[in-house]
Amino acid sequence: MSADLSIRNYSPIAQRAADALLRSLGGFSVGLMMPSTGVGGAASEIGITPQTYQQLPLSPAIFRRVRVTMNEGEPEKFELAVSASAIATQVGALQLASADALFAQAAGVTVNGKMFLIEAVTAPEAFGQAYLYRLQLREALPEGM
Amino acid sequence: MQNAKDTFYVALRNRLATVNPNRTMLLRGAQRPSILVEEAEAVVAMLPADTFVLRWTGLTTDTNLPLTLAKMECEMHYTTGGTAAAFGLDRGRALEEMDAEVIGLLTPRSTPKMDYATNPVTQLTTAVFWTAATFMPAATVRDRLTRYAKVAVFAYQEQGEL
Repeated sequence: MSADLSIRNYSPIAQRAADALLRSLGGFSVGLMMPSTGVGGAASEIGITPQTYQQLPLSPAIFRRVRVTMNEGEPEKFELAVSASAIATQVGALQLASADALFAQAAGVTVNGKMFLIEAVTAPEAFGQAYLYRLQLREALPEGM
Repeated sequence: MQNAKDTFYVALRNRLATVNPNRTMLLRGAQRPSILVEEAEAVVAMLPADTFVLRWTGLTTDTNLPLTLAKMECEMHYTTGGTAAAFGLDRGRALEEMDAEVIGLLTPRSTPKMDYATNPVTQLTTAVFWTAATFMPAATVRDRLTRYAKVAVFAYQEQGEL
């Protein structure tokens, strides 16, 4: 038995298919909350200077509830599927090394004006390229913000 | 108490820049030493790796003195999965390195108290001082080693101080 070492050239077909699927499922636009750059120093780090954020549009995206049953006081969890091409655009625009760096910097996601925190990110791949990003979100509690 | 907490954090941040200049992070668009105050940052699901996270917990006061003495409990949490170059096999060494840095950050065990809410920053008349770190047992969660060290931070409440 031998390993398959054949070269597979990258093709955006999976990414385009995922984008089409997201749009057909009612894909809409969400906002990734990114801190404005240039704010630093002790006052910012100890919570004196308020941080400002910019909203980066991500589209197409679909949003759904992860579980229907809820426990008292426990925030609901949601899943957001976002187009990889939208993420790649923002990674390029911000000159970041990867999508991981983008999500590490983000404070959360706004969906229809409501804030959600990012708990986990996964990215299914085809030919070594992510074609979709799945974000597990948690409703931001008022005291958490 | 807030001035003491701010002073303690800034002192440790400045010392980290000297103890290990390579331990930096990009947070909220700014490059800074890898130490943060948990209550002054966004809520996250998981502790950031290779970063010192200060968590303020207990508070007691002694009012039987000319100035009220506040004792604040601070937990320094840190977690590491080692380096990607070593496939995480050096995570034990990385944790030990962070243990040593904690000792370095906390030495000497005092610093002049500052008021960072004023512009420019003003120095107050008393100092902030603290105990040696008490290291808790390391915990393993998947590929990461996590530990926290407890420190008791003391400060006198000066006249008109928050």
